[in-house]
Amino acid sequence: MKRLRLDRWTGQLLVARPPTSTPLRYARPGAVCARLAPRRQQSTAIATQLSTSSDGFDYDRFPPLEPLPPTATSLPSPTPDRALKSARLAALHARLSLPEKLPLQTLARTLVDSSADENPQFNNSNLAFVGQTLINYHVAEWLMVRYPRLPMAILWAAMAAYSGPAPLFQIAQSWGVKSAAAPGGEVDPGLLQFSLEGLNPSDRKFGYSRLEVERKHKFRHSISSGVIFDDDYGQLIFDGKTGVEQKEPTADENGGDQTPSHMSYGDEKTRLLAEQAHAKFVRALVGSIYAHCGRDTVRAFIKSHVMSRTLDISTLFQFKSPTRELAMLCEREDFEPPIARLLSETGRHSRTPVFVVGIFSGKDKLGEAAGPSLDAARWKAAMNALKAWYLYSPGEHVRVPSDMLVSDARPWEPAHIDIGEVISF
Amino acid sequence: MEAQLTRRSATACSGLLSCSSRSSSGRLFAPSTKTVAVTSIRQKSSAARLRRALNIPPHPSFVLKDTSADRIIFNPPSSEASVFHTPFKFLPKSDPRRRQNIAELFKSQATGTEGTVATGSPSLDPARLPVVKKWAWEQKPHHVTAEQVAEIRRLRTEDPVTNSVHKLADKYNCSALFIRMCVQAPKEHKEKVKAEEDRIKARWGPIRSAARAERKRRIDMLFAGEL
Repeated sequence: MKRLRLDRWTGQLLVARPPTSTPLRYARPGAVCARLAPRRQQSTAIATQLSTSSDGFDYDRFPPLEPLPPTATSLPSPTPDRALKSARLAALHARLSLPEKLPLQTLARTLVDSSADENPQFNNSNLAFVGQTLINYHVAEWLMVRYPRLPMAILWAAMAAYSGPAPLFQIAQSWGVKSAAAPGGEVDPGLLQFSLEGLNPSDRKFGYSRLEVERKHKFRHSISSGVIFDDDYGQLIFDGKTGVEQKEPTADENGGDQTPSHMSYGDEKTRLLAEQAHAKFVRALVGSIYAHCGRDTVRAFIKSHVMSRTLDISTLFQFKSPTRELAMLCEREDFEPPIARLLSETGRHSRTPVFVVGIFSGKDKLGEAAGPSLDAARWKAAMNALKAWYLYSPGEHVRVPSDMLVSDARPWEPAHIDIGEVISF
Repeated sequence: MEAQLTRRSATACSGLLSCSSRSSSGRLFAPSTKTVAVTSIRQKSSAARLRRALNIPPHPSFVLKDTSADRIIFNPPSSEASVFHTPFKFLPKSDPRRRQNIAELFKSQATGTEGTVATGSPSLDPARLPVVKKWAWEQKPHHVTAEQVAEIRRLRTEDPVTNSVHKLADKYNCSALFIRMCVQAPKEHKEKVKAEEDRIKARWGPIRSAARAERKRRIDMLFAGEL
């Protein structure tokens, strides 16, 4: 390995500004914090070579990036007035074409997770709650009117695929939101701030937490009770304590050795926390748009960022006994009972036969599929028929109830809503 | 086009061979000169031949007979029907598509031999197509009385070995599923059957167990729509 010849380096390399980070020296609240921005020594050799100040820095040569308020490092999150000076925040505001009414200070507040700052007046919890209800309302009413026959389980899965934490995390990433390594009052307000120190017990998901989860070893988790008690995606809600107890063993198994939680980077738990924090930021941003700009703007924002994503709903289905379900459907709807008929076949005695089976109810063909055996083709055809039933749509551009909130809206025509699923488990 | 050319040469070959075999009655092989002539294929060695080979006439459905007005040519390749195309029967009463198509619905019901409205496929009379497998309800109609159900329960509980599910199904002319819905075997019998199954499964080698696991996985994937 070659030795680094620092004395031969050009001046440009030596004066390059280090990236934003907090050295340990500035972590203590004191007089030094008042005049200096966060910065880092490039190497010990340069520091000794160039030191002209008493604490080892040439402040004339390395001027501070930004003067920090005296109490910055003692605060859990950046002060709101610093939002106006952050280039990242302004860039994010411009990149998303956010309305002028939304101030940078509010945008900065949406980036502070409750795990970074517990004070609800400075974190994004309240905005995130508003945003979550708005996003889920718009997605749910649109799915309900667009696909009026979806079974509840599929509806939940579609809701989670549009507005759950995973897609919102992707949305936040596509917006170019970066996160700070650790939260604090000195970090750039344009960075998403959350703590990896564990789920905050005070930070719960919005909804009921069931008593059965704690009291009973086993209980019937039905779809009907899920509609009432669980969250918008049909998932059980644990309170913070139960959640941590369930999550931590998996994190330890993945981590393997005895590294403390703040040292392990990129394991299952930290990824979960990062996903939740990013999703919360997107929700909080939606909530802040609603708070500052109103109903129509937030609806347009949700439409263009959340509902515009592509999802193939036909891939969400998983059947248990499709033929039985189809027979029950035909009985319920007073159709003629379904009959599977062979439409065509090839290579019956070969290694790779293909059978094309259609399912008929009277003279109408309900579904058709090809398969390597008669049974497989029949099951697949029944599945296709059921999917065709469940995925009925009155059209692409259906009117949703929130269309009526416009002042000069046409009178409402009742939307077709199906009576429910064929077999509910 | 490539396939067509080779087929033409192939038919020519067989014709020549049959002639030779007929002329040389009793001889197994044709003369060598004739065989050489048979195997020669006309290549696209010159530009003119290549141009002629690539000069394909359009498919008949693309040839417009009436060019007086603009038309849409709908000639999709054969593929699986999309599940997003709702069959006519599945449209709710309020759907405008049902009202639009009502004339055609009457027409198809009146003639009977016309194809389905939903798929639009012509000339297939569903009644003539072979049935793949009858549904359980069709094979075994509902005819078992409450007394018989009580008797089934009693027999199965008293002696589950003699009165197996399939024996009872045969006896009462109902499906095995119906017997299973009526009654469950006693616990000790179930445990005995399970132990016997486990003993058999323990003797399976790696190939058979892998094949079984793969078959199960394939069915699961089929029901999840992944196959």
